[in-house]
Amino acid sequence: MRRREFLGLLGAAGLSAKEPPAPPVAVAKCPSYNEDLNTVLSTMFDQIGGLSGFVRGKTVTVKLNLTGSPGDRVEGRPPAVTHFSHPKMAGSLAHLLGRAGARRIRFVESCWATAGPLEEFMLDSGWNVRALKNAAPGVEFENTNALGKSKSYGRFRVPGGAYIYPAYDLNKAYEDTDVLVSMAKLKEHATCGVTLALKNFFGITPASIYGDDTREDEPNESPTKGRVEVLHNGRRRPPKSAPQELDPASSREAGYRVPRIVTDLVAARPIDLSIIDGIETIAGGEGPWVRGVRRVHPGVLVVGTNPVTADAVATAIMGFDPRAERGTAPFLTCDNTMRLAEAVGIGSTDLRKIEVRGVAIDAARFRFRG
Amino acid sequence: MISLTPDSNPGAGLLERKNGYSEGMVFALILLAAVADWVPVRWISGEPKSLELLAETPMNCLMLEEAHWSAELSAAAAGRGLVTLGVIRPGSDTAAAAGRAMAARLNGVVLEGDFETEVAQYVREGVGKAGGTVIELSPRGAVPFRDAGVITGTSQGVWPGLHAQEDGAVRAAPTGTPWVDTNTGFLRFARAATSATIWIAYEPPKKGIIQPTRYIQAICDAALTGARWIVTLDGEFARRLLARDAVALKTWREMGAYLRYFENHKEWRQYEPHAGLAVVQDADSGALLAGSILDMVAVKNTPVRPVPRWKLEAESLKGSKMAVSVDRESLTPEQTEVLRGFARAGGTLLSGPAGWRFPAARRDQVTMGKEDVERLDALWKGVNSMVGRSNLGARLFNVSSMLTNLLQGPGGKPVVLHLANFSGYPVENVTAQFPDAYKRAKLLTPDAAARDLELYPTEDGTAVDIPEVPGFATLILD
Repeated sequence: MRRREFLGLLGAAGLSAKEPPAPPVAVAKCPSYNEDLNTVLSTMFDQIGGLSGFVRGKTVTVKLNLTGSPGDRVEGRPPAVTHFSHPKMAGSLAHLLGRAGARRIRFVESCWATAGPLEEFMLDSGWNVRALKNAAPGVEFENTNALGKSKSYGRFRVPGGAYIYPAYDLNKAYEDTDVLVSMAKLKEHATCGVTLALKNFFGITPASIYGDDTREDEPNESPTKGRVEVLHNGRRRPPKSAPQELDPASSREAGYRVPRIVTDLVAARPIDLSIIDGIETIAGGEGPWVRGVRRVHPGVLVVGTNPVTADAVATAIMGFDPRAERGTAPFLTCDNTMRLAEAVGIGSTDLRKIEVRGVAIDAARFRFRG
Repeated sequence: MISLTPDSNPGAGLLERKNGYSEGMVFALILLAAVADWVPVRWISGEPKSLELLAETPMNCLMLEEAHWSAELSAAAAGRGLVTLGVIRPGSDTAAAAGRAMAARLNGVVLEGDFETEVAQYVREGVGKAGGTVIELSPRGAVPFRDAGVITGTSQGVWPGLHAQEDGAVRAAPTGTPWVDTNTGFLRFARAATSATIWIAYEPPKKGIIQPTRYIQAICDAALTGARWIVTLDGEFARRLLARDAVALKTWREMGAYLRYFENHKEWRQYEPHAGLAVVQDADSGALLAGSILDMVAVKNTPVRPVPRWKLEAESLKGSKMAVSVDRESLTPEQTEVLRGFARAGGTLLSGPAGWRFPAARRDQVTMGKEDVERLDALWKGVNSMVGRSNLGARLFNVSSMLTNLLQGPGGKPVVLHLANFSGYPVENVTAQFPDAYKRAKLLTPDAAARDLELYPTEDGTAVDIPEVPGFATLILD
């Protein structure tokens, strides 16, 4: 048994030597993207300690959630009102970061099946990139699905022992940053139960290395596929240039692997700010490729400095128990990523210890099932 | 025995005759639009009063089933400046049917389907002598592109729209974007192959309720390439329309507005493709089949110029940066040399596999067979890879549920970008990037007044953001 598995067991038994952090989480009701998002978000940031001290003079990198192809749509609707981050949220965040003194604001995503510019992926998603670029000084974009503008990858080691890979090779944008933001969407997930601030970081992995058409020895700088074979199912290895799996004999089940890979990634590259957009979204899965997804309108936003506490509150708002074990909805066929992250000390899932500021969970609750 | 004079109609007890028509009717005939301007609809009633429904629409050519043929309806139609054509299909006594149509004082007939050449010729001559017009809607593989009349067309259209799976999700095409069932590949080729006005017939699906937007899409799929859909209503809609149901009337008016939009801009039909990609193809290499390379390029929204193989010469590739030769084995030595010259001059050329010929299509074949699609897959991947992020006239963003067509007027001006939206909802924030510098961009839609849009410079040319595309939009660039 590896150290991380052992710590996980201790955590599950409530025997962790060190209490995971449980900073406060802000919750707000927001019925529409046409609301004054600057005011709503600004209030929420103030509720968790304010932005200025956090970002002044810093490089801030914002990991968006633009999962799948921009052409894949739910009922023909713009992806921003179903399963993608919304450009108005991104624009408002950029504006507030700029106002708080951020030196550079870099939006990133590993765009599905392409190494092309993120700006073009955004345009294909119906974003007004010019408006976003003008929302604050120093706005940049980087597609982290391959090398992008860098000449080499950054290597991010998982501290304290990893679940699946000891380290991950990622785009340099995740290294060359002071503050890392996970801008997620409030959604269920077919493989992981829910996809929130934590799971959003599965998308920081480049398909050039972890994609289905990666190469034997070196990354494929023109990826055209997803990451099912390497990361989800472990049926093929990343190129020899990248760190290899700790235990190739471990389970190949996606419900086992993906939550652990997400935990590894967040441990290796911690998230400093989590923003979860539940104004308009979908229920039943993470994207249009999941059968039976439906449009929903929870009208809620969640913000926190810790991705586990933010996810725990968001999961409760969705009508689920954030501490639920495998076999209980929404984690029917997977391990609970939040519990795995809690076990390695990233953050607490215990709602009794998490102070919710703004709107109470009960008042914000929008049940995704039942 | 065919009898094609209107005098043979015993019910026509009219005034003085001139060539069998009353002076009143001759005057009415003068009012009829020129043949090229006929806007066809399969009319749903034999009642003269039903024609009131056409008053606010540009539909001016009624295709009538025989049950609706009558002198009374013909006269009422003529009085409204409407053309009447009798629909005849294979299987009946064609000549006799044509005679009955002319006896009912219709303006001509439509031969819809696969007729024997001699029969069609006989009807053409007979109806022509009687002053009538014959329009032939052939199977796709039998459209006489090289010898077309004023109007030519096919009876084998595909009902257009986003291809839905059983659960309502859309399937991914080889491009990774939703697949739009469309006739544009066929119609682009037809447009390049003939200067005739092109009609295309397709019917609403028999199952389910047809949403109003599907009729708009049906109009736009043909109009995108300058063709005319023969407006065909499903039975339930027709029933409600005749009953003057308010919802049906609203849809009908909207259809009329879209048809009028295209009729108000007839000049677009003569415009040529403005495209840096040429596809050399012919009927025997799949150009007439739905799902062909031209449809694949259309779904990818890459500006394309079809070049019928028999028209392939250096001039036909002028302005192209890339060319695809689907079936290299069918080229003559001279045509092969034209393509070599294109490549020597710096053009990028992609050819189908050596030693491979496209499987012969049946005359009535409409869609690609599964095996044909698999054979074309390698070529399609090559096209995708070759085009990449190149700007071959326009690069378009947020158009995954749309089909587009980039055209140019005489002398290259103006450049016109058509966008047909198949999503069922208005699409916001479409961006178009052009390799050329333009000074003015104007957006036209059937639903709103024209407005100027801001052009802004990009690294490679100019771009424009289109705030919203309803069912259809046209960007005019000067």
